[in-house]
Amino acid sequence: MSDSHDSPTIPNLIKKFYFVGGVLVIGTIITFVIDIMFALPLALAAVLGLLIALVKASFVVAIFMHYKWDKKLIWITWTMVLTFFFFAGMMGLIMWAEGDVPKLDSALAISTGTNEMPTIWIILASLLGVALPASFTVFTVKMLSQPAPVEAAAPKARRTAKKKS
Amino acid sequence: MEIPYTVKPRPDTGLYNAKLGIWLFLASEVMLFGALFSSYVLLRVGAEPGTWSMGLMDLLVGAGNTMVLIASSMFVVLAWAELKQGNLAGYKKWKWATIACAVLFLFVKWGYEWPSKFKHYDVWLNNATVLQEKFDEGYHEVASHGEHGDAAHGADVEKYVKKIYTTRFFKEESKDSQLAFDDAWRNGTLALSGHINAYEEAQIDVRITGWKADAGVSEDAADEALVKQLAKQDTEDAAGLRLNGGYLREKTDYDTAKRAEYALGQAGFTVALSVAGYKRVEAHPWMWRTKRVTEDIGGKPRVSSIVFELDDSHHKGIITLNAGDIKRLSAYEPKHSTFFGIYYTITGLHAAHVFGGILIMLYNMLPIGLGLWHRDREQFTNRIESFGLFWHFVDLVWIFLFPILYIL
Repeated sequence: MSDSHDSPTIPNLIKKFYFVGGVLVIGTIITFVIDIMFALPLALAAVLGLLIALVKASFVVAIFMHYKWDKKLIWITWTMVLTFFFFAGMMGLIMWAEGDVPKLDSALAISTGTNEMPTIWIILASLLGVALPASFTVFTVKMLSQPAPVEAAAPKARRTAKKKS
Repeated sequence: MEIPYTVKPRPDTGLYNAKLGIWLFLASEVMLFGALFSSYVLLRVGAEPGTWSMGLMDLLVGAGNTMVLIASSMFVVLAWAELKQGNLAGYKKWKWATIACAVLFLFVKWGYEWPSKFKHYDVWLNNATVLQEKFDEGYHEVASHGEHGDAAHGADVEKYVKKIYTTRFFKEESKDSQLAFDDAWRNGTLALSGHINAYEEAQIDVRITGWKADAGVSEDAADEALVKQLAKQDTEDAAGLRLNGGYLREKTDYDTAKRAEYALGQAGFTVALSVAGYKRVEAHPWMWRTKRVTEDIGGKPRVSSIVFELDDSHHKGIITLNAGDIKRLSAYEPKHSTFFGIYYTITGLHAAHVFGGILIMLYNMLPIGLGLWHRDREQFTNRIESFGLFWHFVDLVWIFLFPILYIL
């Protein structure tokens, strides 16, 4: 068969799929029950709800999307990680500008003696903004500038099949 | 031209081309949805207490739909596993199950969730006095019907309104919710939320008051335009009306009257609309806006009053609202508030992805799509895998949407 996975046998995979299905259903039920049983403050509810969603999402990406066995997707992983940092940095800056969430003013004032945001943070955030499109560009140029290699160069031989139960 | 690396992985990327392509596409999708998610979060944290109406969401429906989408995500990967084992029948079985789940998801969203919101209203009144008077009025109206007469009184209706307000904006009763409610109650910014059960619709008289010969329309053309607007299309009447004026139609509906006013205006006539009376209509109208009720027709509103049933009041809180007292009226449509604006944007975009997915799945089930299976099994399997990646992503988006929209 194809491909880049050192994936387990199909019957084995199918078992994993059912397991993940179970995890997703249970995650949804937990979210639901928490919401109707407890009156949580918004911040806690947000953290809890998104944490459960994150766990569910990781299972979907790792198993359903067989990312776990597609290690060759390293470039995409890199892009996604950068996207995340960019996103987080951007959100942080905007929220700061909003002025109230998160309330970092006092902590900042104590540590630096000023309410101003240190310049280096702004520079770092901007660099993240540059890094993302740059990584895309580098990746694309790298992909397109290479002639398609000759058939014989099969990479799979280089890899030793790892045993996954 | 033969497309390279549809089956074998391309040596330098280690993936067959379609898989790399779909992952890049998903990376761009992450940014698209990421932008909307961050907008939502910023709008949410920036909202004043008492303005974010997430308590309106039906959690059970949301959780049910989440389950449906999870199931479809499982089925699609099982369909791929069957193909890997060379079992086309198994593939078809799971694929139909996936399609069924996707259709069910959209049916719940487009057939139930959205339409029920389009029939659900908030009404803001002009001032606090009107609001408070309405509660006594609601009591009298119910009492005069003789039903629940002993149970319902003004304070009860206030209780319903408070309960709706609290669950909607604060979920639980607290000091903050009490303060916000008292404030809204006093200054009249409180919105009544519920359904329009019936309304009094204007019956309109259309009268011709004159005709300008110098408007650039010939007499014949003017008469022709007039005949088209007459109930009985009689040419004799037309000439008389043009010269002497008079009633074109009596007690007609709004659309007919407005159409006549426009068409005749074009033909050089001056037309006066006036309200002859009101007719009670028993209906639950969709997507009404303020203007639909308060529009001025010859000095009177298009709808004189609406019969409004408050949410959760079990028919006890039925009140009549006069058009003159209504400041704003809106169904739960995108223009209702920031919350609904972003809610429909995000869920709409997600639903569009589900809809597109259904089309692709159907293609892959039809002979035209299945042809590839008979030509090249591995390529077809890879195609299904690529689609699966997209479908899991759609599921992923919903996994995050569910807590954000229904719980936070």
